[in-house]
Amino acid sequence: MTFEPGDRVRVLPSEKPGHVRTPAYLKGKAGWIETLIGEFPNPEELAYGHSGLPERPLYKVGFRQTDLWKDYRGPAEDCLYADIYEHWLEPERGTK
Amino acid sequence: MGGSPGGPIDRGQHEVEDWERLADAINGALGAKGLQSTDELRRAIESLEHYRDLSYYERWVTATEKLLVEKGVLSSNEIDERAAEIRHRWGRQ
Repeated sequence: MTFEPGDRVRVLPSEKPGHVRTPAYLKGKAGWIETLIGEFPNPEELAYGHSGLPERPLYKVGFRQTDLWKDYRGPAEDCLYADIYEHWLEPERGTK
Repeated sequence: MGGSPGGPIDRGQHEVEDWERLADAINGALGAKGLQSTDELRRAIESLEHYRDLSYYERWVTATEKLLVEKGVLSSNEIDERAAEIRHRWGRQ
């Protein structure tokens, strides 16, 4: 696996067409690896009837709500967790 | 919805209609038979032209029809003929 829990990551701002499981509102946003969930066939391939192999690592990634929504009024420590495939993540400098 | 403003959330309960139960059952059966996967259904739903105008299960059935035609399991003609037959039987022609 490329990433370890606690690693800072950024979601690629890719506009890849077709079916993707990465929410649009997380593209380009920075967060951290919470945990590795496992390895699974790639849903972007499964969506078109392909095998989805090889399996891709899937991480639970944490984000600060204040980093996601510019008008967020909740507590600063509020987080959002999302399942993001490794091929949608790049390393980001800094620490959680 | 999907990170875009979606208006107020209706938290009220609503009755599940018979055709919605049937839509769910058909989906389960198609999945068990390996004719349709969750990822394929999601992809087909996302590509619906009138996505935002359709209810939850309307999206399911419209996308399922699209997938079954795409895979050659059914043809649009077969579906239209069968729908006309059912409408006739129910006296709604």
